[in-house]
Amino acid sequence: MSILSSRSASSRFVWPEWATLPLVGGGVVILAWIIIGLTIPWWTPYDPTNLAGMRFQPPGAEHWLGTDALGRDVLTRTLYGVRHSFPIAVFVIGCAVVIGCTLGAIAGYVGGWLDSVIMRFVDITLSFPPILLAMAVTASLGPGLGNAAIAMVIVWWPIYARLMRAQVLSVRSREHVEAAVASGASRSRVLIKHILPLCWSPIIVNATMDFGQVVLLAASLSFIGLGAVPPTPEWGQMISEGAIQFYRWWIALGPGLAILSVVLASNFLGDGLRDYLDPRAS
Amino acid sequence: MEGIFRTAARAAAAWAALGAMGVILPAAAQDRPLVIARNLEINSLDPHRAFCDTCQIYLSATYQGLVKLAADDRSVEPSLATEWSANENQTEFTFKLDPKAVFSDGSPVEAKDVKWTFERLKNLQGDPSFMMKGVTAIETPDDKTVIVKMESPNSEFIGILAAPYTGIINSEVASSNGASAGDDAATADKGETWFLANSAGSGPYVLDTYRPDDELRFRANDKFWGTAPAIKEIVIDQSADAVSQAQMLQSGAADIAMQVDPDTAETIASPDLTIETVPSYNYIYVSFSPGAEGNQTPLDLEVRQALAYAIDYQGAIDFTVGGKGALQASPIPNGFPGTEDLPMPEENLDKAKELLASKNLQDGFTVDATVASINVYGVDLALLMQKLQQDLSRINVTLNIQPVASAVWRQQIANPGIPFSARFYAPDYYGSAQYVQFFGMLPGSWWERNASGQGKVDLVNQKEVDLLQQALAASGDDVARLYREIALEMINDRIIVPVVSPNLILAYRNEVAGVRYSACCNLPLAELSIK
Repeated sequence: MSILSSRSASSRFVWPEWATLPLVGGGVVILAWIIIGLTIPWWTPYDPTNLAGMRFQPPGAEHWLGTDALGRDVLTRTLYGVRHSFPIAVFVIGCAVVIGCTLGAIAGYVGGWLDSVIMRFVDITLSFPPILLAMAVTASLGPGLGNAAIAMVIVWWPIYARLMRAQVLSVRSREHVEAAVASGASRSRVLIKHILPLCWSPIIVNATMDFGQVVLLAASLSFIGLGAVPPTPEWGQMISEGAIQFYRWWIALGPGLAILSVVLASNFLGDGLRDYLDPRAS
Repeated sequence: MEGIFRTAARAAAAWAALGAMGVILPAAAQDRPLVIARNLEINSLDPHRAFCDTCQIYLSATYQGLVKLAADDRSVEPSLATEWSANENQTEFTFKLDPKAVFSDGSPVEAKDVKWTFERLKNLQGDPSFMMKGVTAIETPDDKTVIVKMESPNSEFIGILAAPYTGIINSEVASSNGASAGDDAATADKGETWFLANSAGSGPYVLDTYRPDDELRFRANDKFWGTAPAIKEIVIDQSADAVSQAQMLQSGAADIAMQVDPDTAETIASPDLTIETVPSYNYIYVSFSPGAEGNQTPLDLEVRQALAYAIDYQGAIDFTVGGKGALQASPIPNGFPGTEDLPMPEENLDKAKELLASKNLQDGFTVDATVASINVYGVDLALLMQKLQQDLSRINVTLNIQPVASAVWRQQIANPGIPFSARFYAPDYYGSAQYVQFFGMLPGSWWERNASGQGKVDLVNQKEVDLLQQALAASGDDVARLYREIALEMINDRIIVPVVSPNLILAYRNEVAGVRYSACCNLPLAELSIK
């Protein structure tokens, strides 16, 4: 009887409506990378920057993704790469959201000349191709992941400023906001308590999708020598090293697949979040 | 019977046609541009400002010196000068110019051009100016005679004149386009831009076009007074790395690839291509600059010695050129006068640790290591730095590697200086003095200036100054003996530490003939032809 009831309980399990395939799939991949990043020093047999075997060994039992020109294990370096790419992506998106949303909210709510000044500045920044602007800023600051991160924040914040301004403009004319204003609430209280809580959904979705794009841009900067410096096991840097060993395809394979997985996962996760947070859009 | 004759006549006609084609086809082949894949890396096309490997190829094709380096890479042969002589103590050299020699505009090569060229080379104070060091006067008793006087004996002077940077310039043409040879040439000369689009020499080729980071195009000099080159047009196509050069070669987009590394060469398998590996005088070295601003730990002699002892030299050769290279003892390359039986660099970790401990640096320190992100002679300098980074980590020294563009490196090495770096060098002629004058700790030498932070630290080695003076005045066996003593001094300076002398890989399509490595000029273009 108990067995029967337990069976009927499991058969009654319903997959939650929010748990769509893109959301769960993307989330699992990102979560897996986070776990790898946090735990890798405990279980990998090789050091990412030191000799692990003969140079240019193709993939095999000992080195699943082979070794590079300095005899370093490509799989180990690929897995360690997440420790550089993810913190950068979190930092860049975090800073861009804070700066962009603050300025966008002020521009949208205050309006007038302040809105014009902020938005023209946003327009000017957005008029540059992102990779070009990031290259220019990194080149002037000097190579290095830190400087690349600063360059990417400069590239990314205007996107969030424009998005937040549009949200604030659409929310501020709603009745509950007008009621709050009529009841004598201060402007900052109206903005923080009555407008901003309704603006976050598209920001979260955008930030999730941008995560992969930041990883990609960071790798691009490293690929052209403006990001990570040797021997950092950064994905773009590793692909750059693989590119000059074109016939040793395995050197660039690992980091290439890693970037692919993160960009795809963040796009799926963003799509899933959009469906969940804004069902009307879907 | 008539049929037999007719058939025989047709066969004869066919043979004649084929024979004619046999004559015509090679001629047609010579008319198509020959393409060389190479990382151009040109700092200037002004003969007295240029100082790079591609510059050597360019200058030796478009200009001619008074003498030239023979195919044995040691002796010199007549070029613009038909004969020359020196006084007994090697302080006065007399040259007779070939009366047939003309520049590419048809005007004759005269003594005044030689005087103007040498004075400009000296006064411009460019990278190759050291070659005219010690020249006090140049006399031109007639149009075809030049007398060069030196302040002290210089037995290498004739050898120096085989260097591409001493090629004779058409002084009238260059002067009318802003070039100056006066004492104030370093500031008054405005000729560099003109030289980027024009050549003014008497060599077998003239500059057709130069597009930075794209191509360097030569066309045959119509008025060349010597044997005309077989190929009418040659293009050096920019191709930054070994793999793209190999791909260009395999696809037929290039006829010669000049910087294919041994690892890439192993992956090339085509019956249409020839891959030759030859020893070279080129080498890669690491440098210490105790006067650089970024030094967090003073790089005094013991520290430099410790770092040099921590390098795994054989490993560096294995990792950078797959073992296809040689150890080199001193900044004077193997095979040059004074390099026989020199002690080869030694890896000795215990000694390195002991030296660091004597300076209380056993816990290690960090050194900034800016390096040009280029591949030269098949060696990726950034990759070499990573190997050295691994080596030095064994004595707790951390290399902070910063790859930069080569042009940026050139600026930074002079100011603010680079504490630890890697670079390359190819000879300009056969003779050891060039290495002492460039790498030695002589007052004002290129590396003395840069390593000392333009004089912030005293690195001058007076013994090297005295020995060089003696070597330049010596003859016979004494020359090698004195250069050997200088080499030992340079080893002990530990400012320049050679790491690898890589073998050179010559990769070219089978139909190309005349490809050879030249110690002064890399690749003599005038000797190339299509079979």
